[in-house]
Amino acid sequence: MTIEVLDPTHEGDSREFKIASGLKDLKGSRIGIISNGKRGTYPFFNALEELLKSKYEVKEVIRVVKKNYSAPAEEEIMTEVKKWDAVIAGVGD
Amino acid sequence: MAHMESLLKSKTYKLDDHLAVQEYFHAHHWTDGLPIVPPTSRSVQDLLAWSNLEPEHLIGIEPVRNRRITAEKLAVNSVMAGCVPDHFPVVCESFSAMLKEPFLLHGATASTGGCAILIIINGPIREQLRMSGGFNALGSSDRATTVIGRAIRLILCNLLDARPGDVDRSTLGHPGKFSYCISEDEENTSWLSLAEDREMPKGTSAVTVMSAGSPRQIMNEWTTNPEEILDTFVAEIKSCMRHYSIWPGNYAIVIPPQLRTHFENAGWSKKDIRKYVYENARIKRKEWADCGKGSVVGSKGEQEYIALTDEDHLLVIAAGGPAGGFGAIIPPWFGTKSKAVTQPLGVCLDCGPE
Repeated sequence: MTIEVLDPTHEGDSREFKIASGLKDLKGSRIGIISNGKRGTYPFFNALEELLKSKYEVKEVIRVVKKNYSAPAEEEIMTEVKKWDAVIAGVGD
Repeated sequence: MAHMESLLKSKTYKLDDHLAVQEYFHAHHWTDGLPIVPPTSRSVQDLLAWSNLEPEHLIGIEPVRNRRITAEKLAVNSVMAGCVPDHFPVVCESFSAMLKEPFLLHGATASTGGCAILIIINGPIREQLRMSGGFNALGSSDRATTVIGRAIRLILCNLLDARPGDVDRSTLGHPGKFSYCISEDEENTSWLSLAEDREMPKGTSAVTVMSAGSPRQIMNEWTTNPEEILDTFVAEIKSCMRHYSIWPGNYAIVIPPQLRTHFENAGWSKKDIRKYVYENARIKRKEWADCGKGSVVGSKGEQEYIALTDEDHLLVIAAGGPAGGFGAIIPPWFGTKSKAVTQPLGVCLDCGPE
């Protein structure tokens, strides 16, 4: 006997997220790094910042840290994001 | 009924038989690995009708991804978990509580820390649903708590993608992720219920949700002294602070009848217990050095850390079988990031389909 069952998932019932188009060149750009604040992020992002500046000639790297690493970035951070050319959101454990 | 069927919006699949349904759902990662009850339109309608909810009724919005949580989707997953209609109001209220901002649902379900959602039920609804806070209280004590807890997990997986390796990044997780729901043994204690302790009026059915680690069992059958019994509970909390997380948060302690008797004979209330645990569950940072964490003690070795920033952060739960000097502590997921939430059940005991 055939059984008709219902889909248990959200079926796309949420805001769509689109990935921003990539930068053609990092040279002279302003790159923001949003850290979740865990210990491991500091040496990793220090090295990444150095790499972005020395190898890719990024003009400025802005470093911000979320107040709560388990929660979304605060509104103030999301306001700042609009001033940057690209964002790197990092999780470190 | 036909009217409601037309309002159901979920996509449908026609499958050959019950076995085909199992395989289809497992293949799409829509289960927890156990068999499910096929969610047919009829069974989903029955749940919605019992609670007088339209399919599109908005239970809440998950804020991180702006995801709408509707009654229809909760009902589909509740049927899958094995819920019958009168279980459904508890599922809805529990999920509504989980969506409250202090609960920090996304963090709790995504974290490597691997907590599960513990649901504690209080009030008359326990009796109506034949829940048991007795034997095997933290295991599969009864049908209602088992399927309600399972429904919450399936909802997290299917509506918020909290499947292992997807949004759920738990390193280990724990068995409570299958189902983690208990009812308090209110009939066999003179204490206020957990819900009453958390400002719910007497006689109100209520749910409390907590982002919780796995239970850690203790035993002390060799004293009747309340302080000594609590010292055993406190030792386990302090152990958790050393071995897992030093940060304070909502701890729960579960006290079965044998140990409860000693407290009640001595005139100790839950408030007295909370005060004692608050004052005694403290460690110094230097104790980390005793368990392999000496490298992070730093210069603050003498600094004291407390398990509870407020004595009311301790959830004291009366539950368990009649014999045995056991108890359990249930640690928080991680500090105060997620706070336990208690809500009254918006259920009408005289309601139901005509």
